Amino acid sequence: MKEVLIRPELCMGCRSCEIACAVEHSESKNLFAAVMEKPTPQKRIYVEYVPEYNAAIPMTCRHCEDAPCTTVCPTKALKQDEITRVVTHSTDLCIGCWTCSMVCNYGVIGRQKEARVAVKCNLCPDREIPACVEACPTNALVFLEVKKLSGVKRTEAALKLARGMQGKAL
Amino acid sequence: MEEKNLYPTICPYCSLGCGFFLEIKEGKIAGLSYMPGHPVNEGSLCPKGNASTEVLTHPDRLLHPLLKTENGWKEIGWEEALSLAAAKMGSTLKEYGPDALAFLGSAKCSNEENYLFQKIARLLGTNNVDNCARLCHASTLTGLGKSLGAGAMTNPLSDLENSDCIFVVGSNFAENHPVISRWILRAKERGAFVIVADPRRTPSTWLSDLFLRLRPGTDVALLNGMMHVIVSEGLQDREFIRKRTLGFERLEKILSEYAPEAASAITGVPAGDIIKAAREYAKANAAAILYSMGITQHISGTDNVIACSDLALICGQVGKKGAGIFPLRGQNNVQGACDMGALSEYFPGYGKVGDKEAAARLKKIWAAEKLSEKPGLTTAKMSEAAHAGKLKALYLLGEDPVNSHPDSLNVRKALEKLDFLVVQDIFMTDTAEYADLILPAAAWAEKEGSFTSTERRVQWVSRAIAPPGEAKADLEILQGFAEKLGLGLEYRDAGEVLAEISRAAPMYGGITKERLLQAYGVSWPCPESGHPGTPIMHTERFNTPDGLARLIPVEYRLPAESPEPAYPFLLTTGRTGLHYNGGSMSRRSSFLLEKEPELFVEINPSDAQTMKIEEGNNIILETRRGSTQAKARLTERVSRGVFFMPFHFSGTNMLTGDALDREAGIPEFKVSACRVRRV
Ligand code: SF4
Ligand code: SF4
Ligand code: SF4
Repeated sequence: MKEVLIRPELCMGCRSCEIACAVEHSESKNLFAAVMEKPTPQKRIYVEYVPEYNAAIPMTCRHCEDAPCTTVCPTKALKQDEITRVVTHSTDLCIGCWTCSMVCNYGVIGRQKEARVAVKCNLCPDREIPACVEACPTNALVFLEVKKLSGVKRTEAALKLARGMQGKAL
Repeated sequence: MEEKNLYPTICPYCSLGCGFFLEIKEGKIAGLSYMPGHPVNEGSLCPKGNASTEVLTHPDRLLHPLLKTENGWKEIGWEEALSLAAAKMGSTLKEYGPDALAFLGSAKCSNEENYLFQKIARLLGTNNVDNCARLCHASTLTGLGKSLGAGAMTNPLSDLENSDCIFVVGSNFAENHPVISRWILRAKERGAFVIVADPRRTPSTWLSDLFLRLRPGTDVALLNGMMHVIVSEGLQDREFIRKRTLGFERLEKILSEYAPEAASAITGVPAGDIIKAAREYAKANAAAILYSMGITQHISGTDNVIACSDLALICGQVGKKGAGIFPLRGQNNVQGACDMGALSEYFPGYGKVGDKEAAARLKKIWAAEKLSEKPGLTTAKMSEAAHAGKLKALYLLGEDPVNSHPDSLNVRKALEKLDFLVVQDIFMTDTAEYADLILPAAAWAEKEGSFTSTERRVQWVSRAIAPPGEAKADLEILQGFAEKLGLGLEYRDAGEVLAEISRAAPMYGGITKERLLQAYGVSWPCPESGHPGTPIMHTERFNTPDGLARLIPVEYRLPAESPEPAYPFLLTTGRTGLHYNGGSMSRRSSFLLEKEPELFVEINPSDAQTMKIEEGNNIILETRRGSTQAKARLTERVSRGVFFMPFHFSGTNMLTGDALDREAGIPEFKVSACRVRRV
């Protein structure tokens, strides 16, 4: 399954992903109208600034294996697809009890104040590439299978090593 | 059936020229979608780009011409508005002569609009025409103009990817031009070494391998220090210096005074780091220098730019893939407004005012009998002239000097002194409040025309929707105004204006609307129609008469103000990731405003402690010009003794000074002496 994977070392905290996510989940998919909408459209990705390390780290739903949020949800508003592992949320079933967010290890289940329902990443089902991934200027967010990302990282590391060796040979 | 049409467009905010599609449904904006094929941004947009459509539908948009009366603003028709503007400018001209008129163009407007604007000024007999580039990159024009023969970015942004060493000085690109990080990070993935020199620890510095935290205003000392190391270790490119430059001996002489220890004493950067930076830069196969307003906005702005250029030249790092000088412009059409001659000392295409040949060519194209030979007033001098009662009437195109010029209280007073001020804009800005007449203009997506990005890429923007209310495209307004003045200037559309531009500005010679409409624009110089454009400049020769670059020695000079007992701190200014310039656009975006709602000042925690200032306290900052209130933000991002404020809120430029660079006339926004107290 493809996931939104994060390469925190590439993030510079610009927050394009947050805006793109909120717009994607608005009624109108248009930023201006989105602001006027009730309930206000919300982002599902959070860029956290860590002052001690001078770093910004994007956080979003990991669609965990045996996702704890789905197991504690009393109404089955949160469900996990057995094959794709995608955790989806149904606002119709949600009673806003907030239990899911209590057990989420990453704190990425937000709350829609006006409608009193949980809000979380649904991997943008209407899109080929999730909005946040497409928006990120630095490719700090990628939409890949975990195995693929390891491959990408290996290629990069190998390239760097090779360049280092070439430097020595010269 | 849902019918959505996609219109390709260019982001109206910063100068990178990112492309995207506007989604139009039933004549209205229905959203934006990404353009993965665009060579600058490959689809992605920064927060401002993502929020750009908010401007189009904002309820604050100006919808009718407005006339100031005793009872406030009165809506009037276009006919009346244009007649009035022409009558007032005309009578001022008759009574006081052409130099009592001034025209301030806009780096937000298209090439065609700026071209027409300066043409009107010059046909009326004055060179009092300028644009806000004077406040951000005038020093790039003069500095790089002198050393390379062209004050423009040498390579495309995406070429940064091919660099082995990227030296960033005075630019917080990660926040201000986030899309650039894409290319820098790609270079890093290939193993490039990134050096960032900045007084502040910014997101751009997080991405660096070496961070040089210099004192504000000491850039020349740093650059000379690096060159000293390069020359004394023999790392310079001797062949390049010999074949393609002039003046090395004189430069070398001056460098002897900038041994790393001496440079370190001035800049505060450890000598070892200066040596390391110099070696990394000089030894790279291809090295790039990227700079922005941290370099340009000083009284030594031109010197700073020249020092950057010297460094690149002695290492032979110009004119090839991955190696070049990248001045990052601020607004979407700073480059274009300058190319079009919306500058007091340059005609379109950078012919100097006063140069007979340049004037002769224009006279022919314009069928004009006479053009003034005396350079006009720059933006700052316009204020002065208004104060002195010499400047009587000002036509302001999409500019907000009250928020964006230094020493803003003084600017306000200057505007009050004018007999007549006409402001053409999309919003009621703080400046427009001073106008006698306001003309509502169209925003970028509501009109057509070409824009030139910071990498010299000329791109066409088509009209996607109609302007709101009675607002009109700037070109149409200017044409109407010119007609009332009896200047003629009949063009069918922007394409026809561009056709004239291609004759007036040689580097636009082969650029036509039809060509720009084919994929992603053309990079100038493009001298004739078959020419493919020039992504990388100076590959064979420089733009100087003999084709050689000039190495010019520059000395470190103290900023206009230094901290002293009465004003013990050093205030520097810049941008944040979520806002833009004077804020007339970005502060109207609720998404952006929500994240950065008010004016703040960054203070080092240990300074704050001595003054008993806590996080979130309201504090008052004072300089010799004025005082302003802001929220304290305690952070190690700034060093002790240095404060930082973003300039998107009206408070900031009350504080900044109006000391000017001798050659470029750019004000020193980056260094002011200040003091602070709690409210
Ligand atoms: S994948 Fe979609 S829903 Fe999830 S964080 Fe990204 S934009 Fe938001
Ligand atoms: S868009 Fe990318 S770089 Fe910007 S904050 Fe999000 S993850 Fe970080
Ligand atoms: S980087 Fe500049 S041009 Fe690109 S989206 Fe952001 S503001 Fe617009």
